[in-house]
Amino acid sequence: MGGEFTPRIVGFLCNWCSYAGADLAGSTKQKVPSSLSVIKVMCSGRVEPVLIATAYLRGADGVLLAGCHPGDCHYREGNYYARRRFALLEKTMETLGLEPARLMLAWVSASEGQRFGEVTNLFTERIKEMGPSPLKKALL
Amino acid sequence: MAKKIGVYVCECGNNIADNVDIDRIIKTISPMRNIEVIEKYRLLCSEDGKEFLKQSIKDNELTHLVVAACSPKQHEQTFMNVCLAAGLNPYLFQMANIREQCAWVTPDKEEATDKAIRQITAAIARVAYQEALGKRDIDVSPDVLVIGGGIAGIRAAQVLASPDRKVYLVEKSSSLGGKVKSFDKLFTKMESGSALIDKELRKVEKDENVEVFTDSEVEQILGFFGNFEIKVVKEATGEEREFNVGAVVLATGFDLMDLKALPQYGYDKLQDVYTSIEFEEMNVPGGPTSGKILLKNGKPPGSVAIIHCVGREEKGYCSKVCCMYSLKFARMLQDRLPEAKVSQIYSDLCIPGKAYQKFYDETKGLGVEFIHGEKINITQNGKGITVKYESNSGQGIDLAVDMVILVPAMEPGNDTNRFAEMLGIPVDNEGFLAQEHQLLAPVASSVEGVFVVGCTQGPKNISESIVQSEAAAGKILSTLVPGRKLELEVKTSEISETFCTGCKTCISVCPYSAINFDNSRKIAVVNEALCHGCGVCAAACPSGAARVKNFAFTQIYQEVEALLK
Amino acid sequence: MENNKNSISVLVIGAGIAGIESSLLLANSGAKVYLVEKASYFGGNIIKCEEVFPNMECATCMIAPKQQELLQSESIELLTLSEVEDVQGSVGDFTVKVKKRARYVNLENCIGCNECFGPCPVEVDNEFEEKLSKRKAIYIPCPGALPNAPVIDTDNCLRFKGENCQLCQENCVFDAIDYTQQDESLELNVQAIVVATGFKTYDLTQAPQYGYGKLNNVYSMVEVERICASNGPTEGQIVLRNGKAPESVAIIHCVGREEKGYCSSVCCMASIKQAHFLKNKIPGLKITQLYSDLCVPGRVYQRFYEEVKKSGVDFIRATVSEVKGQGTGVAIKYKTENGEENTLNVDMLILAPAIEPGVDSARLADILGIPQDEHGFFNEKEPDLDSVDTSREGVFIAGCAQSPKDVPDTVAEAEATVGKILSLSR
Repeated sequence: MGGEFTPRIVGFLCNWCSYAGADLAGSTKQKVPSSLSVIKVMCSGRVEPVLIATAYLRGADGVLLAGCHPGDCHYREGNYYARRRFALLEKTMETLGLEPARLMLAWVSASEGQRFGEVTNLFTERIKEMGPSPLKKALL
Repeated sequence: MAKKIGVYVCECGNNIADNVDIDRIIKTISPMRNIEVIEKYRLLCSEDGKEFLKQSIKDNELTHLVVAACSPKQHEQTFMNVCLAAGLNPYLFQMANIREQCAWVTPDKEEATDKAIRQITAAIARVAYQEALGKRDIDVSPDVLVIGGGIAGIRAAQVLASPDRKVYLVEKSSSLGGKVKSFDKLFTKMESGSALIDKELRKVEKDENVEVFTDSEVEQILGFFGNFEIKVVKEATGEEREFNVGAVVLATGFDLMDLKALPQYGYDKLQDVYTSIEFEEMNVPGGPTSGKILLKNGKPPGSVAIIHCVGREEKGYCSKVCCMYSLKFARMLQDRLPEAKVSQIYSDLCIPGKAYQKFYDETKGLGVEFIHGEKINITQNGKGITVKYESNSGQGIDLAVDMVILVPAMEPGNDTNRFAEMLGIPVDNEGFLAQEHQLLAPVASSVEGVFVVGCTQGPKNISESIVQSEAAAGKILSTLVPGRKLELEVKTSEISETFCTGCKTCISVCPYSAINFDNSRKIAVVNEALCHGCGVCAAACPSGAARVKNFAFTQIYQEVEALLK
Repeated sequence: MENNKNSISVLVIGAGIAGIESSLLLANSGAKVYLVEKASYFGGNIIKCEEVFPNMECATCMIAPKQQELLQSESIELLTLSEVEDVQGSVGDFTVKVKKRARYVNLENCIGCNECFGPCPVEVDNEFEEKLSKRKAIYIPCPGALPNAPVIDTDNCLRFKGENCQLCQENCVFDAIDYTQQDESLELNVQAIVVATGFKTYDLTQAPQYGYGKLNNVYSMVEVERICASNGPTEGQIVLRNGKAPESVAIIHCVGREEKGYCSSVCCMASIKQAHFLKNKIPGLKITQLYSDLCVPGRVYQRFYEEVKKSGVDFIRATVSEVKGQGTGVAIKYKTENGEENTLNVDMLILAPAIEPGVDSARLADILGIPQDEHGFFNEKEPDLDSVDTSREGVFIAGCAQSPKDVPDTVAEAEATVGKILSLSR
C-alpha cells in the first residue's frame, strides 16, 4: 500500500486557536500537505462524533480534529467536550473494526504555525502508510 | 427563488496568482450549478477592489457571495461590509482560504490548484444553505446593584451613580464602612481608617442617585445581564423591595480564618494572644481599651511577637496584605509603646511594588526584629508566653513575649457561598468566586453582568480593592449605556421546539449557562443574551434540536461532501 | 455611533495589554480613542512571552482576539511609530501634539506577504528578539506581529544613509513601499489621557557580578522568553549559544532588587513559570532557583509554586556571592541563611531582572506634568488609595508605568481608568 496514493484528509479546525495556527503556518511558509482540506468551526466542541463519522463514511481517508490546548478554549470548556467525545468515538470505531488510527485529535495554538505543519505532515504520512480507507471500496 | 452565487477569486498581487492556476479554477467552477458569475481580481480588499465587488453584486443581482482569497480572519469583516453596502445580507457570504492555507503552504502549483478548487467548491456548497441573519438587540436597565457597603462597595457606588443611572447599595450590617472603619491606622501613610471612610461616605450620602439599604440582605437575583430582577429584604422588619438592574457588583469582603482550627497558635486558649482584627479594635479610640495597647492584666506589654502567615500552609495561599499590615502594627507599637520590644516571625516577606520595601526598610530601622521562622508553637506558663519556632538552620528557638498578635489567612466573606449558589458562579478550591478570565477579565465573574470585586475576589489591600470597583464600574459604564440597547451575538444557538425532547443535555453542557428549561412546554430554550455560539449544545443534542445559526449540521455537511467528491 | 454630545475622545499612550484594554472598553462606550504606540508593532511586553502564569496559557492566543478587535474597531485609531510631544489644556479639553514617524510602508496597500525582506542587503541585531537573531533594515519584529506590515529602520537602511538601493521596493508588487513618506505632526483634541507605557527590565550589565554579557551561558529572563517562544529566534527549541540543550539550569531571582530598593512583584512567578516550561520541554532538566524571599501573593500563585516544586525543581533561599565561568557553564557560589556556603555548577544561568518604568517615562512625566517617584514610576494621586488618578485631573495611569504588577492587576487598572473617565464625562 502507499506509493502513488494521495489521501483525502478532512480537518475540523476551531476558529480561535487551530485555524489561526494554520494561518500562521501559511504566513511563515511551512509546508502543509495538500491532501488536507479544512473546515472551520467556531469551537472544537461543536464537532459531534456523527460529523467526524460522516466525513469518514463519505470517503475521507483520515479525519483531523484540532482545537485549543486544554485550558485555553475561547469558550472555556468546549475543547474538553471535544476530547471526551473523541475518546468515545475512537473506542466505538475500534469496537466496530473501523481503524481508529484514521482519526487524529490535535491541540494547536494560534502561535504554533510550525507545529501545525508538523502535525499535518505526520498525520498524512500515517494515512499514506495505512492506505486508502476500506470504506471507499465499499462505497464505490 | 433561484440562487445566484457570485464567486470572486483574488490574485492577491502575485501571492495567490503565482501559486495557483486561477484560470483553471475559473474554468472548473464556472459550469457548476447556481454559479451566476465567477471572476478574478487583482486585490479585492483594496478600495477599488471593494468598489468592484459591490458593483458586481448589484449588477448581477447576486443572492449569495463567495470570495476565494486570504484567511477570513483577515478580511471576512471587510467583505461583510461590502455585502451590506451592496444590499446583500452579510451572512449569505462565505470565504474560501486559498492563500494562507493553500497558496502559501503548497509548493506544487497543480496540487495547490486542486486544493483551491476543493475549498472553493465547499464554500459554494455551504453558502447555498446559509440563511440571512440580522443583528438583534435588547432593552437593558443601566442601574446597578452593589452588594456590600465596605470601601469597595462605596467606591463602586460613587463612580457608577449618575442622574441616568441609579445605584442600589445593600449592606447587611447597620452601618456602611466595612472593616476599614475599624482600622485606626492604614499603611503606608499611617492615617485613620475611619476618617477615610467618613470622607468616602460623604460623597455617597448626599448623592440622590444612590439608594442605601442597611440591615438588609439580597434575597433573590433572577434574570440575566441587562435585566436582573432583585429582591432585597430588611431583616428586622421583613420589609421587601423589588427592583430591576442591569448589573450586579459583589463586594462582600473578607473574613479572617478561624484560628481555633490551628491549636498550635494557642488562640482562644492562652491569654493575650490576639488576632489582627482584635489588635486593630484595641487601637481604636472608642474601643474596649480606649485605644490603649494593654494586656488582660491592664498593663502595657513589654514585648510583642507578630506571627505572620498563620494558616498559610493549611489554606495553600498567601494572603498578600498581611506582611504590610504587620509592619503597620510594628510601627503602631513602636509609636505607642516606645519601650516595647517587637519581633516579627514570617515564612516569606511579601512586600511587592515600588513603595513597600521602603516601608519595610524604615520599619526595620526602628529596631523591629525580623525573624524567618517556621513551625510555630505557642505555649504559656506563669511567667508568660513562649513562642517556639524553627530557624533557618533547623534549630528550635524559644522567644519569650508578653503579647502575641496572630496574622491569619484571609477568607472570602461568609456570604460568598450563598451568592455563589444564587448566581450560579462556581467557587474555586480556595473558596473564592471564579473569574471570567483570571488574567484578562479579573473583575468579571463567569456570569455575565455579575462583577466580583475587592477581597471577595481574593486577598488584596485597599488600593487594589478600589481599583477593582472602578474596573467593574468601567465595564458597566461602557456596556450599559442609558438609552442604548445591548447588541447580541448573531450566530447563536436555537432549539427547535418540535425536536426537543426535554432531556436537558444541552443545559448541562453549556459553558455559559445560557440555556433554560421551560417547565410549561418541557423544552430547552436558549437565552440569546448569554449565548456565545460555541455549538457545544448542538454537538451534544441527541435529537438534533439544537442548531447554531450559520454553523448548522446541514451547512457543515455540505462542506464535507464537497471536499470529498 | 452615539449622538455627538455624549461622544468623547481619549488619548491612550502605550499599546500594551493595559492600553489595549482601556482602548477597547472606551471604544465600546462610544468614545473615540487615539492609541499612540512608540514601536512599529503593538502588544507591548506580553507578546514576548510564549506562555503566561499561572495557567501557562499561550500569550499570543490569549490576546489575539483583543488585538483583532482593536484593528477592526472603527473608533480606535492606532498610531504606531508615534510619540506624544506636547500636552496643553486641562481635563475635558487637552490639545496633544503627536509625532508620527514614517513607516515608509503604505498600510493600505501592504498585505503582509514579507517578500520585501529577502532582497534587503542589510542585516542587524533584532532588538525584539533580544539580539538573539538578526533582522533586515526593512522588517517586522517577529512572525505574527501586528499590524502585519514592515517598517524601514532608517538608521541602518542603505537608502536612507545615502546609497541608491531600492531592492525592497522593486520586490513589492503592491506598491506598498514609499520612500517619500514623511514624519507627520498630528494635533489631537481629547477629553482625557491614559498613560499605559509599561516597563523595561533592569540592565543586567549594571550587575556584573552575575556575569551577564561576559560569561557565555548567562541569560536574562527576557532572552529566555524569546528562546521559549514558538515564533522566536530558535522556534521554541531550548538551545544554548553553543547549539546544545542544557542539562542543568539555575535561576537567580531579585537581580537588581537591592540596587533599585523595591520588589518587582512578578519575577518570582515569572521565574517559576520559566522553570515549569523548561522542565516540560526537557523532562530530565535539573533546575535550581535561588531567591531571597518568595513573592507568591494571592489565591493562586502559591499553588503554582508548590506544583513546580513537587515536579522536582529545587528552591533554595540564598544570597549569591559570586558567578564564575566553569568550562562551558557557570559556577555559582551562594550562601544560605544559616551561613553555609555552597557552589552550584550549571550549564545555563537565567537572571530575573528588576522591573523599571519604560524608557521615556521622564520625558513623558515632563510633557504630561505628572510627577514621578524616585524610581521613575508615575505617582498616583493618593498612594494606597487612588492608584489610577494622577495629580493632574484628566490624566490617568495604569499598569507597570505606575508600579510593577501582574497582568490581572494591570488589566483591572486599565478598566478602572475607563470607569473614572466615563464617570467624569457624564
